[in-house]
Amino acid sequence: MAVRTPHFPDLLFSAAARLRKWEGTLMGHFAAHGYRELHPSLVLREAVPDGALRFFDGDELVALRWDFTMALAGLLARTFPAPPDRVAYAGAVFRRPVQPWEAVERFEVGCERLQPEGEPAAEADVELARMLMAVPGLLGLKSAILHLGNAALVRRPLEAEGLFGELADAVVAALSRRAPHRVREALDGHPSAARLTAHAEALLSEFDGPGTLGALAASPYAALLEEERSHMDRALQALLPILPPNLELRVDLADVAGLGFYTGPTLRLWAPGAQQELAAGGRYDRLFPGLGRPWQAAGFCVRLSRLLDLAATRPDLFEEPR
Amino acid sequence: MTHSTLLIAFPKGRLGDELVPKLAHTPLALDPAALKSRVLQIPTATPGVAALLLKGADLPRYVAAGVASLGIVGSDTLDEMDMDLLELADLGFGACRLSLCAKAEVTLEDLRARPHLRLATKFPKATEAWLSREGLTAELVPLSSSAELAPLLGLADAIVDLVQTGGTLKAHGLVETAILGRSSARLVAARGAYLSEPGRLRPLAGALIAALKGQD
Repeated sequence: MAVRTPHFPDLLFSAAARLRKWEGTLMGHFAAHGYRELHPSLVLREAVPDGALRFFDGDELVALRWDFTMALAGLLARTFPAPPDRVAYAGAVFRRPVQPWEAVERFEVGCERLQPEGEPAAEADVELARMLMAVPGLLGLKSAILHLGNAALVRRPLEAEGLFGELADAVVAALSRRAPHRVREALDGHPSAARLTAHAEALLSEFDGPGTLGALAASPYAALLEEERSHMDRALQALLPILPPNLELRVDLADVAGLGFYTGPTLRLWAPGAQQELAAGGRYDRLFPGLGRPWQAAGFCVRLSRLLDLAATRPDLFEEPR
Repeated sequence: MTHSTLLIAFPKGRLGDELVPKLAHTPLALDPAALKSRVLQIPTATPGVAALLLKGADLPRYVAAGVASLGIVGSDTLDEMDMDLLELADLGFGACRLSLCAKAEVTLEDLRARPHLRLATKFPKATEAWLSREGLTAELVPLSSSAELAPLLGLADAIVDLVQTGGTLKAHGLVETAILGRSSARLVAARGAYLSEPGRLRPLAGALIAALKGQD
């Protein structure tokens, strides 16, 4: 019999029970805060990306739902003339791993906050951060770390320098590796090389609590990014007094994961010793306008399959089940 | 090994030969007795921190998977493998060139003019990128060692390989006809370990940079 990497493994008793319990707990948390459940179809007919599990339905190429945000966006844009303000989702997703040995996302629970374009978004961003801050406690994680970032800290300087395409991708890849020397190498000979390298060094110089925001002052783009700095500062002031015990808050100025998608604040949840983030999200204001709807949106997704894997390999990170 | 033991992956071979003396008398000095043995996990002078000795091509995988939290590897290997890990510093040592090398009488123009150019290399990705930039096509002959033999014995017209002093090339009657890129030792970190336990990893990364680059 062929040996296959279990990208879509079976769940045995305790893992199956844990999945059911966590889904219920998190959906209850979202419902208690006014987030109503939507369940987009498991079969999607939109433009199918690489990595999706595709098959023919008659003559039509379709795919299993590879991502809830994209599936929900299609559903919302097709169905509603105005955006429902709070939605939540839970279920399975199917996509192939980037690396052949890598476990992939299989079960997700998440929520989204939608608004008409132009409405103030700061409160919605803080609301989502507060929702995510409750997740570690609900799942029984003994301790966790919430990273706050902002995609605009990289996106806006790149746009201001007129840097797009391959060169911008190379800068983002270097920042993703947290390698300012790679930024310098990628921009060798470009007029913005010195400025963007100094910016990368500023973003990467600190990775700590609220004081990290001060590192932005050393960036050549400090004035350009004043609004983002102020937005992050206000969010921190709102969140720090209500930080649950055993949750640490860190500012990650160089968070560029998903930069092509996120447009503003980003959130990532980690547990000490975990090899992958356990929840992720942020603001993505360009998604709905691209689908013909003048709406803005932000949300986060709890990666339940990673949590299940973590509970199996590092049970010491979780409270004993009651 | 427990979760509290922190592993650093160090390279065997050329980079390792340069690295080990630089670590002597630092908090990350490797235990000399263990180094002489066949043990693959070497205690360091810092309790709770051990070193793994790995081949360069395997090392990024151990770090990307989070088995080792930190590692030191050549940028040529990183560029070929494209693994998801953090690259915290260019450590400067182990500097060498990735060069196109051929027999002494063969020029770059001769190679460009070949209707069917064959290049032997351990670095197919970097070679393909260079061929694309130059608007050339070639048959790549994958090799994992002793590439210098390939042009001498007719397996290929030229090689793309790392050149440090040029001594090995000279010994085989080969010369550099073009420089494709440069490589040096890089300090890499597991993304998960670094982002989820920065308080544990950053001081150790700082100590490695201080020991190997002479700064904090």
